[in-house]
Amino acid sequence: MSKQPVFIARHEELPLKNSSTSLFLQIMVAIAVFLFAVTLSGVLSINAMLQNWNDSILGSLTVQIMPSTNINPEKAVAETLAHQNKALDVLRNMDSIDKAEPLTDKQLEKLIQPWLGDGIDIKDLPIPRIIDVKIKKGADIDFMDLAYKLAQATPMASVDNHKLWLNKLIQFADGIKILALSILALVIMITSGAIFYTTQTSLGLHKYTIEILHLMGAKDTYVAQQYAKRSAILAFQGGLVGLFIAIPTIFGIASLAHQIEGGIIGEAKLSAFDWLTIIGLPCFAAVIAMLTAYYTVKQTLQRLM
Amino acid sequence: MVNDTNKSAAIIEMQNVGIRYGQGPEILSDIKLSLRKGSFHFLTGKSGAGKTSLLSMMYLSQKPSRGTVSVFGHNVNFANRDALAMLRRKIGVVFQDFRLIDHLSAFDNVALPLRVCGMDEREVRKRVMELLQWVELDRSIQATPATLSGGEKQRVAIARAVINRPELLLADEPTGNVDNDIAPKLMKLFVELNKLGTTVVIATHSEKLISDFAYPRLHLQNHGLKIFAPSATTGMGVRHV
Repeated sequence: MSKQPVFIARHEELPLKNSSTSLFLQIMVAIAVFLFAVTLSGVLSINAMLQNWNDSILGSLTVQIMPSTNINPEKAVAETLAHQNKALDVLRNMDSIDKAEPLTDKQLEKLIQPWLGDGIDIKDLPIPRIIDVKIKKGADIDFMDLAYKLAQATPMASVDNHKLWLNKLIQFADGIKILALSILALVIMITSGAIFYTTQTSLGLHKYTIEILHLMGAKDTYVAQQYAKRSAILAFQGGLVGLFIAIPTIFGIASLAHQIEGGIIGEAKLSAFDWLTIIGLPCFAAVIAMLTAYYTVKQTLQRLM
Repeated sequence: MVNDTNKSAAIIEMQNVGIRYGQGPEILSDIKLSLRKGSFHFLTGKSGAGKTSLLSMMYLSQKPSRGTVSVFGHNVNFANRDALAMLRRKIGVVFQDFRLIDHLSAFDNVALPLRVCGMDEREVRKRVMELLQWVELDRSIQATPATLSGGEKQRVAIARAVINRPELLLADEPTGNVDNDIAPKLMKLFVELNKLGTTVVIATHSEKLISDFAYPRLHLQNHGLKIFAPSATTGMGVRHV
């Protein structure tokens, strides 16, 4: 009986754990992290997709041969093919070009199938012929020179280097990125705003204790560190909850998008690094919370006491 | 009698100090005071004479409305917040209302001054346990102030004030609530600390305390300060400072 346990659990001098604002703060951070994780995954997917396209598109171009206007369909096909061969000659004689292959009739039929349906004989139709051109890796192709040479060989050829529609996509992606940045700014503002107000409220609540700590020789930093630590823990916990809700949401959106347009969105895969970034968000929130709480305490104490 | 001109040894130095609250009249006027290192003074005066105000300037909770206060040679008017905190670490205070932190145990309350300067937790435990045993509170280490009696709270407050072996010990009615048998023991603690070099100022109403111990007396009256030689309770030997 006389031997009391010598170990005594240390209690927090500032009882921030049981604060009624803790839950509020965690919910705010959870929402913020959720929103940002979902947006970020969107941006990263679009980026990955653009990168894929960019890589494949930069290495290729398409030459289109306009169909001959000859009224006789058979002659028309023959003329068109003749033009195509002239263009192929030009292309295959260029150093920077690795490969130039005309699309076969089958491939062309497949291309127009969505518009004209099955059972179309391509030979009956005045449709353009297409040459798929692969540029040699690292070769710097002069599009003007290529267009000029083609024009000399045949007036029916035109070069499409994909840049135009890719540029539009890039513009679209940039728009999404700006949206994401706005959400990020909002997330940081919500998190630090919530921390700022809860910290100020708590400082008022614990004024008496803080005064005593000061009288015992505590610097503002001592108080600030306790708030910083507590806020970081709360934000991290809130962030984890937000993240755990966000991950199934991201997968849900991805599978929906996949159903809508398999061809395009299928390329929008998040890399391991992207996932690490998303998983790191609770830590990011914790750092913001920590810094905000620390400086709020320093600034408020200086002003109030 | 004392070498008041030796400023390097002055723990507290006040020049033309006045203090007022808001637009009210000055509670203290033209206070001039120099406490040497290792001195021991009682502080007396009627209720409302400004004892607590004078003490609060000494423990750096309050800056003077006018005049200069120097503590450990630092002019408090020019000291920044961190510098004040460092000075406070050398000062132990027993408050009249104890100012214990209600949600902390006796142990944690006493440990505060050590923890705020980042002392190793094993050392904290050792020192606090020793002192709590000495003030006969070792059976209440886990008790919060709400469950302690007035006298026990006062002993916790005193233990907290001396735990860091302060260079300056300020006490506001430190024996007011304790039982008669423990009061001499606490006074003995203050005397021992004083012998080890701690400068002590004790505000008290107790005539017995003042007559039992032969220490000079700072007396507040009519907003001013007079110093009486030891045991001079009749006004004899008044020395204006």
